[in-house]
Amino acid sequence: MNLFWRELKASRKSLIIWIIGIVAMVGAGMGKFASLSGSGEAMVELMADLPKPLQAVLGLNGLDISTVMGYYGMFYLYLVIMGAVHASMLGANALAKEERDKTAEFLLAKPISRMTILLTKLSSVVVQMVIFNAVMTVSSIAFAAPYADGGASAVTSDILRLMLGTLLIQLLFASVGMAIAAAGRNPKRAGAWSAGVMLLTFFLSIAIDIREGIEALRFLTPFQYFAAPDVLNEGLSAAFIVLSIGVTLAAIAVTIAAYRRRDMQV
Amino acid sequence: MNMYLYELRMNRKSAFIWMAALAGIAGLFMSMYPTFAEGAEQFKEVLRTMPEEVLQALGLQIDSMATLLGFYSYLFLYVLLCGAIQAIHLGASIVSKETREKTADFLLAKPVTRSKIIGMKALAALTILLITNVVYFGAAALIAETVQRESFSYSAFVLINLSLLFTQLIFLAVGFAAAMLLPRLRTVLPMSLGVVFAFFMLSAVGATTGDSKLRYLTPFQYFDRAYIVQHKEYELEFVVTGVIVIAVCALITVIRYLKRDVHVS
Repeated sequence: MNLFWRELKASRKSLIIWIIGIVAMVGAGMGKFASLSGSGEAMVELMADLPKPLQAVLGLNGLDISTVMGYYGMFYLYLVIMGAVHASMLGANALAKEERDKTAEFLLAKPISRMTILLTKLSSVVVQMVIFNAVMTVSSIAFAAPYADGGASAVTSDILRLMLGTLLIQLLFASVGMAIAAAGRNPKRAGAWSAGVMLLTFFLSIAIDIREGIEALRFLTPFQYFAAPDVLNEGLSAAFIVLSIGVTLAAIAVTIAAYRRRDMQV
Repeated sequence: MNMYLYELRMNRKSAFIWMAALAGIAGLFMSMYPTFAEGAEQFKEVLRTMPEEVLQALGLQIDSMATLLGFYSYLFLYVLLCGAIQAIHLGASIVSKETREKTADFLLAKPVTRSKIIGMKALAALTILLITNVVYFGAAALIAETVQRESFSYSAFVLINLSLLFTQLIFLAVGFAAAMLLPRLRTVLPMSLGVVFAFFMLSAVGATTGDSKLRYLTPFQYFDRAYIVQHKEYELEFVVTGVIVIAVCALITVIRYLKRDVHVS
């Protein structure tokens, strides 16, 4: 339990900075909606007719940005990216930092098993991501509600669904980051590798948006699992929920297997 | 000189990876251009039916999207994104390396002034960015030549690619200043990614809503590529803004680096 609180305390400051950043971004983003919603009608017609690559260029992909949820769906992608950046860095650093900061000996000499260390770190990572996600959810609802016709109740269920998708993506990237840190040889490089994986899947996602005919690759990039247009129109896809949880569990399994036998650099 | 060469050597590998990544993005996206351009004629039919003010409201010359430069302008945003991450990460890590890795006492005990140290580090970072840009430009020109369907304005192409260098310089300066203002920074990457993606999102929100004031806030919007293609020049007010940002960040960095307390334990 000490370790758990120690972990949370160590990343308290960065979590607070992230939270401030997220709230500011959601606020600024939704604030812009006010200036946009004026030029409504003509826009709606245009959007529906635009070919797919152009919609991708504008970040729309079938969203009607004259409505609150359509507009929110447009910049939801950036919230997912922020969540993914946070998660992949946090996951990788949670394990890698002990070796990097030369505190691995100190920690491992304590009378707790590596398994306990790992699970405690994992739970602290999960808690931080849940907090991160909760802040995004609450600020999204708070900033979107004033523009919705029905107030908060009109947007809550959609936002909750989108944010559940985000949480799954966060968990996925965090567990992949941990697996990279546990299995990779150089602890200083863990963060970079984790970020590399994240950026690679991000670019793949953009490529899928622009180019028609390669939708089959969607399962390769988490950014496509819960894309806003799909979630808003059809809800969360059960197949992708299962897939994201499966990848997360597999990454955790790799982490456990690798970390228990890891040759620590001290 | 030793310090300069040492920094170059230390950053050699990551610089190569970034060059490959930047060229890879350009290659990946440009490989889609031929299929994209084939569908362009149908797009134009649809677009002709749209009222002009709607197209204006989107802040994009959509008609030009079908040209090579138009498509390149779009994908270049992602090249900028990667370039910005490289630059801010390079800037923040190169000046904070000694304090992070506890080798500051070693370096500062050498018979060189701090101003010389920071000067050499800045020079090394600039060299790396310059080389990156030269390599990227070569690759981009080669790719563009390969996929082009009709000739395009080379001067606009050069100007667009030059804006990568300028944007990187801005982010390099921001990285320097961020490392100075956050002296207890232990890992650079989360800060770098967070800052860059925040600016990136601001840029996307600005582009979708067509807000002109928001443009000053995000370096991703300082060099508007639609404007470059049309006028073959940069917008002066944003160049000035960029120079001011660089100057302020550089000033912060120099002042802080010369005076700060370095913890060596």
